[in-house]
Amino acid sequence: MTGLVQRPLPALARGWWPNGRAGFASLVAVYALLVALCLATLVAAGDLSFGRNPWDNLLKTVGDFARPSFLDAWFGPERLEYRSDDGTVLRVENRREVEASFLAAVARATWVTFQIATLGSLLAALMALPLAMLVARNLRAPRPLAWAAKGVLDVSRAVHTLVFGLILVGIVGLGPTAGVLAIALHSMGTYGKLFAESIESLDMAAVDAVRATGAGEAQVFFHGVWPSVLPQFVSHHLYVWEFNIRDSTILGLIGAGGLGLLISEAVSLFQWSRLATLLIVVVALVMAFDALSRRIREKLL
Amino acid sequence: MGPSVLLSGVQVAAGDRVLLDVPRLRIEPGERVAIVGPNGAGKSTLLKLIGGLVQARQGHVGVLGRALGPGLAAADRRALRRDTGLLMQGLHLVPRLSARENVLIGALARLRGAHAVRSLFRWYPQDLVAEADAALAVLGLGDRGDTRADRLSGGERQKVALARLQLQQPRLLLADEPTSALDPAATQAVCHALSAVAAAPGRTLLTVVHDLELLPLLATRVIGMADGRVRFDRPLGEAAPALLQSLYQRQTAEAAPAAPSDSSPVIRFASA
Repeated sequence: MTGLVQRPLPALARGWWPNGRAGFASLVAVYALLVALCLATLVAAGDLSFGRNPWDNLLKTVGDFARPSFLDAWFGPERLEYRSDDGTVLRVENRREVEASFLAAVARATWVTFQIATLGSLLAALMALPLAMLVARNLRAPRPLAWAAKGVLDVSRAVHTLVFGLILVGIVGLGPTAGVLAIALHSMGTYGKLFAESIESLDMAAVDAVRATGAGEAQVFFHGVWPSVLPQFVSHHLYVWEFNIRDSTILGLIGAGGLGLLISEAVSLFQWSRLATLLIVVVALVMAFDALSRRIREKLL
Repeated sequence: MGPSVLLSGVQVAAGDRVLLDVPRLRIEPGERVAIVGPNGAGKSTLLKLIGGLVQARQGHVGVLGRALGPGLAAADRRALRRDTGLLMQGLHLVPRLSARENVLIGALARLRGAHAVRSLFRWYPQDLVAEADAALAVLGLGDRGDTRADRLSGGERQKVALARLQLQQPRLLLADEPTSALDPAATQAVCHALSAVAAAPGRTLLTVVHDLELLPLLATRVIGMADGRVRFDRPLGEAAPALLQSLYQRQTAEAAPAAPSDSSPVIRFASA
């Protein structure tokens, strides 16, 4: 009915910027200029370099990755002898036992990663829900509260999980708790935005109809609003949770526990075959959860 | 009991344009009134005004013994909503709830105490569920109770909205073109159901009617409107076809001179 009302055009189309095809061409020109500027400064500073022998390094790395360490748990030598230059045996190692215990450590770290993502996501969703209800325009929260909530969500979205993690490790100490809180603080912004959007896409004509029967405000909420937004909330929750599983795999790099801790260990000790194992686990974990969450989200629509 | 609807000196305006100008209108409990008139006559605005969806710029709007306006207390406003049943285009079913749950929404305001709390979890007393199923069955939707509202056809949705009204048991029913976009069979069913809901003693039915053939089904009194004003208001028996037609002719007569001058340049362009 009021959808055809003329709204003021956005500033870009109104004033100093050319319209239509010329406007788009100018936009492309500005973009090309930016890219050229970035490239030119990079070259001028002498930073565009691939190192001394990139091909050898690449081949070596691929070779290291080609034999992931977990294979040793079944096929490795049972007596690996470390000898000094003159031939005396320094140490004997059962590779199968060593790698089996590493795999157990990987399993524990995977669980910790999952823990961080799961608890962090839930905490974020719970914190974001009231904020989203303030931000959603169609619920008509008082303006100052809406602005404050929007500010909180914007800040939380702007600061990366790793940055929150670094700050929190300093506050609550090393370990998964810092990871959970870091995930929660960053994802709160994402959840808030997604939740607010699904509340705004609500069919208000249906909500009005429920109110028109004389139902109380709580009844209006649970019959008009909740049934429409709940499936979307669950879908968004799975989506962000999926993201956080990916994010929490690197949180260990800054000491927040989980797979990231093992990754940073493997990198600092140049154990590329173990790094290969860890990456396989990360990819498998993320892919499995992606597939599962996609299935559930399709069912919900 | 006082009148169901009492308007005096009412004006509704959008900006400078007066949409509705009704010096006096009185509708008694139990009356069945149809509002007819061309597009833009103010029929829907009148219905929305009485339903509390539109505010009057001036005048007194009394509905079921309460005066509408900003001064109306929240509790009174809610009681009025409960007693006024709306069937309008701007009101939808809740898309993800089943037909039965949508019907049960009509009964929410009737629930008290523990039942009202349980209703938040969509847990209803057995007799209400039976009542909802019966209301659906009467409208031929007995087997659609579990279907989600967004999977129903337009006609079925209208019937579900009617069944909801039946559970709401309003004292005043306001229906805005309840049969538009329905096929003839559905039109008959909806009209009969609407009359049935309004049949209980003391219930008032106010319908905006487009299809003049439906008048005998829905009304005993006809209000003819044009340009935001009431042109006539009389019992159905005294509303002759010529009188009804005159409402629409007034508009076509105004529009007629414009039509040729509008279309002739196009013809000239086409032949040139």
